[in-house]
Amino acid sequence: MTNFNIDAVAQNTGTPDRFDAIVVGSGISGGWAAKELTGKGLRTLVLERGRDVQHVTDYPTTMMQPWEFEHRNQLTREVREANPIISKCYAFYEGTEQFFVKDAEHPYVQAKPFDWIRGYQVGGKSLMWARQTQRWSDFDFDGPARDGFAVDWPIRYADLAPWYSHVEKFAGISGNKDGLASLPDGEFLPPHDWNCVEKHFQQKIAGKYADRHVIMGRAAHITKPQPIHLEQGRAQCQHRTICERGCPYGGYFSSNSSTIPWAMRSGKMTLRPHSVVHSIIYDDAKRRAVGVRVIDAQTKEMQEFYARVIFVNAAALNTNLILLNSTSNRFPNGLGNDSGTLGKYVAFHNYRGGISAEFDGMLDVKTDGRRPNSPYIPRFRNLLKQEQSGPASGFLRGYAAGFSANRHARADQSGLGADLKQSLFAPKLEGWRVGSHMMGETLPKETNFVALDPNKKDPFGIPQLAISVDYDENDNKMVKDYQEQMTEMFTVAGFTNIRVRDDHRTPGLDIHEMGGVRMGRDPKTSMLNRMNQLHACKNVFVTDGACMTSTSTQNPSLTYMALTARAVDYAVKAIKNGWV
Amino acid sequence: MQRRNALKTVAATLGGLLILPAWADRWTPQTVQFAPAGKRLLSATEVDLLAEITETIIPATKTANPPKTEIPGARALRVHQFVEKMVADCYDKAAGELLRKGLNSGVDEMAQTVTGKPFLEGDAAQRLDVLKQLSTSTDATQKNFLALVKSLTIRGYMSSEYVMTNITHYEMAPARYNGCAKV
Repeated sequence: MTNFNIDAVAQNTGTPDRFDAIVVGSGISGGWAAKELTGKGLRTLVLERGRDVQHVTDYPTTMMQPWEFEHRNQLTREVREANPIISKCYAFYEGTEQFFVKDAEHPYVQAKPFDWIRGYQVGGKSLMWARQTQRWSDFDFDGPARDGFAVDWPIRYADLAPWYSHVEKFAGISGNKDGLASLPDGEFLPPHDWNCVEKHFQQKIAGKYADRHVIMGRAAHITKPQPIHLEQGRAQCQHRTICERGCPYGGYFSSNSSTIPWAMRSGKMTLRPHSVVHSIIYDDAKRRAVGVRVIDAQTKEMQEFYARVIFVNAAALNTNLILLNSTSNRFPNGLGNDSGTLGKYVAFHNYRGGISAEFDGMLDVKTDGRRPNSPYIPRFRNLLKQEQSGPASGFLRGYAAGFSANRHARADQSGLGADLKQSLFAPKLEGWRVGSHMMGETLPKETNFVALDPNKKDPFGIPQLAISVDYDENDNKMVKDYQEQMTEMFTVAGFTNIRVRDDHRTPGLDIHEMGGVRMGRDPKTSMLNRMNQLHACKNVFVTDGACMTSTSTQNPSLTYMALTARAVDYAVKAIKNGWV
Repeated sequence: MQRRNALKTVAATLGGLLILPAWADRWTPQTVQFAPAGKRLLSATEVDLLAEITETIIPATKTANPPKTEIPGARALRVHQFVEKMVADCYDKAAGELLRKGLNSGVDEMAQTVTGKPFLEGDAAQRLDVLKQLSTSTDATQKNFLALVKSLTIRGYMSSEYVMTNITHYEMAPARYNGCAKV
């Protein structure tokens, strides 16, 4: 393999601060950058601001039985009161506290209310993610240009399809080949099973609506290990459904179980935890980025590292923060920010709407075992075109939805003494309950933005990020439409006691924040080109959520993975050919 | 050692790729750690009374059929420790006050009314009677005290190792999902 370390040869061969590539962040996209770069022979430095979390060894609660938790997994009052933000996150409990950023650790400014959910450790949030993985289709990539918001995506499905395949095969994605144009099929391992009521719902919806589909969720779980998974040291998912504590089997995909150890085995990766990236160093004379400034989280000392290409995968908003803080004579407003769009057009997913109901039938069956996944309803509103009449014409874009049915046994707890005990030991099966939640597309707008606070600094002396992101009328209308349409669909399926909700959750709690460093065709209105390079600084690539031009309704991680692998492939070609 | 054996099985499946972490050997079933004496929510006397109340809520019983082995009650499973721990660490401060108030006056006041003697001096049937009266008391403190202790007793008992292992048969790794299992 060619020695790409041109700077090292030219300037100071063999010093430990020079690499072919630097990756900022080790989460779901940073892990992929590390794997792909090292796989192509590049000596790669991976910088992670948090501590190291080794697969299995550093999952302290993964094999704990429920009774072994001091508070049976409930948060203590002390933790809740000290952490009002992170305590709102559904995945934050006694068994996972070690993987989430506490409120005081990295303060930020809520110019508007925003729950910023973060995981600072090797693996980032890939340890605790919800593992849903759907491909985008051209209905999604076409959105901004077709409906007149944001800017046109510079890529289409055909650009990404082979890279989706590439990452799916390695990560292990379960799913069914449903043949839907709106949600392209992937390289699937066997899908998870339905329960009878979910199947009933699927059939009723198929019978009533030509354009609405209920499919099994596509999830990053190894339902049938392939040689490539065994080679990673990963085994079949055991349906424990306590994934967010870390999985000793590597049953779901995370950087920790998959890409990071793979990159490590290449011998080409240097992983440096406790490395808070302050900024990217731009050399005015060389007219490119030459490295990064890092504050060692333990010694508080600043140090520089140099490389030929830099991948910024710090997680969407932190990538914005780093670029905004990377100022130079050439880029006084943040690296690559000629357009003035850096930090702007942030968007997310609207999870506010939900619905629950009961089903009186199918009392002769129940569920047995557990399933780390659930059925999924791909977007059907404004899919083929923007509706000009009817309810969906009132808003742009649409929503996907999760759906599940379950049946529990409950004990009568009204008694006391031996009667109570007897009743506790003989719980009675209740009827079926069904529920769904929405995942709505929010529109990227200039008025939804992040910026550096002019005064406030974090414990490392780095400016705090001020987040100014909110819902708008389009989101409110979509919540209402979701509630109405799902009510209709639940009624069609014969569900009863239907109750809709709007929990008015604060943006951020969806943990799907995206944008601020968007891709686009025109350097005047976007930050990144079609290969995820900064238009104005071609050896810096951004392939995490920050690069998203729009959000559509898919869970985004799979798309970050595919974009990353594609961008690395290009970056290595670009180095070879002297383009960067 | 169940945990380590389980991990060994995983390690074997993966062809020895898995390194067993240090913590796999270290845990013990006694996970309840208390603050040092003087910093605990309850005094020794209050703890003793709480233990008897939880035992009255869920008493030791014998299995219906021979060999009529004993199924432990809340006291033997140390559910009272769980109740104290949860109220002290997780609940609002008001719940701690309610718990102490109930233990210091509410329970025995009711016991005097119902049985003419303190709670601990009554037999099992009398104690049960006292709790039944508390559960329907018009005094908010008495009623809320029982509701608090009862709900935590049920939770602590049902999530105990004994019950989850022997009665409800919790499976950490079911490795299956059957969505249409016959009832």
